Amino acid sequence: MLSRTVPRCAARPTALLRPLRPHGAPVRPARCSIDRSRRGYASEAAEKDLVIIGGGVAGYVAAIKAGQSGLSVACIEKRGMLGGTCLNVGCIPSKSLLNNSHLYHQILHDTKQRGIEVGEVKLNLEQMMKAKETSVSGLTKGIEFLFKKNNVEYIKGTGAFADEHTINVNLIDGGETSVKAKNIIIATGSEATPFPGMTIDEEKIITSTGAIALKQVPKKMVVIGGGIIGLEMGSVWSRLGAEVTVVEFLGQIGGPGMDAEIAKQAQKLLGKQGMKFKLNTKVKSGEESGEAFKINVEAAKGGKEEAIDADVVLVAIGRRPYTAGLGLENIGIETDDKGRLVIDQEYRTKLPHIRVIGDCTFGPMLAHKAEEEAVAAVEFITKNYGHVNYGAIPSVMYTHPEVAWVGQNEQEVKASGVKYKVGTFPFSANSRAKTNLDTEGMVKFIADAETDRILGIHIIGPNAGEMIAEGTLALEYGASTEDVGRTSHAHPTLSEAFKEAAMATYGKAIHY
Amino acid sequence: MASIASVCRTSSRGIGRQLRNHASSRAFTASAASPAAHNFTMPAMSPTMTEGNISSWKVKEGDKFSAGDVLLEIETDKAQMDVEAQDDGQMAKIMQGDGSKAVKVGARIGVLADSGDDLSTLEIPPEDSAPSKSEESSKPPPPEKKESSPSPPKQDSAPSKPSPSSSGASGTPQKQNYPLYPSVQHLLHTNGLSKSDADTIPATGPNGRLLKGDVLAHLGHINKSAPADVSSRITKLSHLDLSNIKLAAPKEKPKEEKAAADGKKEKAAKKSPEVKNVALPIRLTAVLECQKRLQDTLGVTLPLSEFIARAVDLANEELPRTKGPATADELFDSLVGVKNVYTSSGKTSRGGFVPEINTPGLLAAAPMKAKQSGKEDIMDVLAGGKTKKVASTRATKNSMATAMAENVFSVNAKSGEEKRARVFLERVKSVLEVEPGRLVL
Ligand SMILES: Cc1cc2nc3c(=O)[nH]c(=O)nc-3n(C[C@H](O)[C@H](O)[C@H](O)COP(=O)(O)OP(=O)(O)OC[C@H]3O[C@@H](n4cnc5c(N)ncnc54)[C@H](O)[C@@H]3O)c2cc1C
Repeated sequence: MLSRTVPRCAARPTALLRPLRPHGAPVRPARCSIDRSRRGYASEAAEKDLVIIGGGVAGYVAAIKAGQSGLSVACIEKRGMLGGTCLNVGCIPSKSLLNNSHLYHQILHDTKQRGIEVGEVKLNLEQMMKAKETSVSGLTKGIEFLFKKNNVEYIKGTGAFADEHTINVNLIDGGETSVKAKNIIIATGSEATPFPGMTIDEEKIITSTGAIALKQVPKKMVVIGGGIIGLEMGSVWSRLGAEVTVVEFLGQIGGPGMDAEIAKQAQKLLGKQGMKFKLNTKVKSGEESGEAFKINVEAAKGGKEEAIDADVVLVAIGRRPYTAGLGLENIGIETDDKGRLVIDQEYRTKLPHIRVIGDCTFGPMLAHKAEEEAVAAVEFITKNYGHVNYGAIPSVMYTHPEVAWVGQNEQEVKASGVKYKVGTFPFSANSRAKTNLDTEGMVKFIADAETDRILGIHIIGPNAGEMIAEGTLALEYGASTEDVGRTSHAHPTLSEAFKEAAMATYGKAIHY
Repeated sequence: MASIASVCRTSSRGIGRQLRNHASSRAFTASAASPAAHNFTMPAMSPTMTEGNISSWKVKEGDKFSAGDVLLEIETDKAQMDVEAQDDGQMAKIMQGDGSKAVKVGARIGVLADSGDDLSTLEIPPEDSAPSKSEESSKPPPPEKKESSPSPPKQDSAPSKPSPSSSGASGTPQKQNYPLYPSVQHLLHTNGLSKSDADTIPATGPNGRLLKGDVLAHLGHINKSAPADVSSRITKLSHLDLSNIKLAAPKEKPKEEKAAADGKKEKAAKKSPEVKNVALPIRLTAVLECQKRLQDTLGVTLPLSEFIARAVDLANEELPRTKGPATADELFDSLVGVKNVYTSSGKTSRGGFVPEINTPGLLAAAPMKAKQSGKEDIMDVLAGGKTKKVASTRATKNSMATAMAENVFSVNAKSGEEKRARVFLERVKSVLEVEPGRLVL
C-alpha cells in the first residue's frame, strides 16, 4: 500500500516549484518556524500565518504581538480606523468627555471654597468634542504606525469566511480581495444591545456611540440601564447641565460585579451631583410626543406606572457579541444563546486553527481583558502556551468619584459560603484626600478569615482606577492583607487609605 | 500490514516521548566552566517537587552526550519528565540506578565529566551535603543567594570541592527563591523560625510562593487544609467559566443561497461529533537534505512548507473511504475479514485532511549548537533511532530547520475515520521520509 503511494507521486506531472494548491490543501503548522522559511518564497500565493478579523483592542494587540513573534500577519478592519469600539467610540472618547466635563463641573461648583474666583464659565461643546477627537485620532494613528513597525498588513474592509482557511474581504475603497490563513483569530467585538421597540437613531434615541457625540446638551435625558456605561455617560451630560434620570431594572447600580455596599455609596454620591435613580424599575415603552419622549416605567415587581419626560433617551442595557456578516454559517462555528462564540480554554473554536478573543466571546467585556487574551492567543499559536488570570482583572467606573474593584465582591463571597473578614478605611480620614478637599469614598478589603489571603478589593473614591493596580498585583501574587499593610506607602497620598484598609482587615487601622 | 503495525507501535511510543518532552522537559546545566567532575543531583522539575523516581537512564557510564540529549527519565507523582543535558559531556558514574525510588531533590544521582576527561583517572568528587537535613534548618543560609535570585530554581551542579554554601543552594522542596512576603517574614521571626524553615513549609501561593496562610497552618494556628482550600477556590476563578454553555438554536445558521450545502455539512458534522486526534511523528531530515541539495545544485530554495503541502496533497488522493452510510457495514466487514476497508476497490475518495504540525524538538533543541556530525543514515531515520544527530553544516540557515527534524503530524478525525486518518498520515510519512525528492521531480 505504501509502496503504491510513492511511485504514484513520481507519475504526477508535477513541475518543479509549481505552487501546489489545486485542492486547496493548506498546511497549518502550529509553529512559526515553518512560516519563516515560507516567507522567503516570493511566488507563493499569499497565505498568512495568521489573519485577524477585527482591529479593535483584541485584534490590533494580537496583530502586533504576532508581528513581533515573526508571524506573517494581516488584520482586517471594516471601520476604516483601528482601535475598535474602545478607541473610537468607547473607553477613550468617553474618558475624554468624563475628564473635561469633570473639570467644567468643578470650575463651576468647586472653586470658590478653594480660593479661586473665576469669571463667567461657558461650555463650548464643539471644542470639547474636538478635544476628544484629537485624542482619538492620535491614538488610532499610533496603532497604524505600530502596524507598520511590526509588519502587520492592514486590510481595510469587511471580512467574511469563505471556507475554513479563506476570508473574503469587501474592501472599503471598493472591490474585493481574499486572504488565506493558517491561523485565524476572530475579534469582531460587540455592539450595544438594542431596546425592543425603540429604534436607535443616535440623535434622540441613542447608544453610547450617540452619547459621545451629542451636538447639544439635552435638557432631560433618560438613561435606560444603570451599568457602568450608562452611569459614565449619564455623568457627562449631568455635569454639562442635563437633568439625568437613570432607570435600572435591578436593585443596584453599577452592574452585578460591583460590591453592593460600594454601589449604594456610589448611588448616593452621584445623586448628590444631581442624577436621579429609579431602581427596581422597568421601562415598558416609549412614546414620541413632538420633540420629546415619554418613557413609561413601572416597578419591576409590578405596580404603578409612571411616565418620565426626556428629549434624549440613552439605551445602555448592555452589549452583545457582534458577528453579523462574518459568514460563520459557512464554516459551522457555534455561538451560545447570548451570541458569544463558543471556545475552549485556549480560545479555540471547534476548528482548532480558528480562535476567538475579546468582546465577541466569553468573559467580561473589557478592553484590558481583550488585550490579555490577544497576547495569550498568539502565544498559544507560537508557543503552545498562554495565560490570562481571569480572577485578577480589574474593573473601573470613571465617574467622580471613581469606583474600582478586583476579585470577588462581598455578595459573591458570602454566597460561596466562605468565612471572610472585611476591612474598610474612609477617605475622610486620609490626609491627602482631606488636603484635596475630596474626601468622599472608601477602600474595602475582603479576605479569607483564616489565611488572610485577599479575595477582593473595592474602592470608591478619587483616583480609585489607578489605585486598583496595586490591588490587582496583590491578588496576582496571592498576598494577604497583612502583606499590603506591612508595605510602605508614600505620605501624604491617597494610597495610604489603601494600606490602612488592609491594616483594618487583619488588625486595626492607625488613623481611624 | 505487519510492517505498518510495527511502525505504528514505534511511532506511538515516539509521540508519547515527544509530548512529554514538549510539555515538561527542562534543561540541565552542567556548568562548563569547572574542569573536573561534577556531582549530578536530582533536579527539581517543578517548584513543588520534593522527590522523584528514576525511571531509567538514557546514558550508560562512559557514554558521551551532547547538549539536548536526554540523560534520564524521572517520574514524580504528577508527571514523567526527561532530563536533558544543556552542555556536552560524559557520564562518569551513575549512583542511583534505574528504578531508584523517592530520591530527594538535591541528592546525588550521578557524576558528570567534561567530554575530554579521561574517566579512568578522574577523581570522583565527594557528595555535597545531603539535602534538607534537619540541622541545616538552624543554620541560616547565605543571604545573598536566598534574597536576590529571581531566576527559576537552578539545578546545582556544584564543583567537586564541597563548600559550605553549596548545601543551601541544592534546592529543597519549597525553596523560596523570591523575597519572602512581609507577613511571612514577620510570622517566621515572631515564632522563632528561621528563613530556611520557610523552605520546608508547603507553599500554596502562585508559583510555589509561601503565603501567610501557609505559615499559619504550619504553626497550627489555623486549619491545616485552609491554605490549599483557598488556593483551589482562587485557581478556579482564574479560568474562564465555560461550563454550562447553552448553544444557540441552530435555526439561524443556514442562510442565503448556501443553505442547502451548509445544511448537509452540518448534518455530517453532527452525526459524528466525536473527533479524535490521530498523530504520527515524521522526521523531516530527508526533506531538509533534499532541500539543501536543491539549493546547492539549482540554487532555489523550496520552502519546507511546500514539501509538506505537496505530500499532503498526494496523500489525500484516493484515500480509502470509511465515511458515509456504509461505514458501519464496511467496518464490520473488515473486522470479520470479509473485506478490508483499506483495499476495498472503488471505495476510495479524495481525503480532506490537513495536518497540524507540532515541533517538540524546538524546545529541546533551543540551546543546541551547530555540530559537525556526519550525514544521517537513512536507516536511522526509518528506525526512528537517535534523534538529535541531524547534520547541519550550515548552522545559520539550517538551525531552525534542524530543530524541526522531528515533528508530530496530527489530524482530527471524526469517529470512524481514524483509520483513514492514519493511512493518510502514513502516506505523508512515507513520502516525506523516504523519497521527498520525488515531490519536486
Ligand atoms: C462607551 C463605552 C465605554 C467603554 N469604556 C471602557 C473602559 O473604560 N474600559 C474598558 O476596559 N472597556 C471599556 N469599554 C469596553 C471596550 O470598549 C471593549 O471591551 C473593547 O473594545 C473590546 O475590544 P474588542 O477588540 O473585543 O472589540 P471591539 O473594540 O468592538 O473591536 C471589534 C472591531 O472589529 C471590527 N469588525 C467587526 N466585524 C468585522 C468584520 N466582519 N470584518 C472586519 N472588521 C470587523 C469592528 O469594526 C470593530 O472595530 C467601553 C465600551 C463602551 C461602548
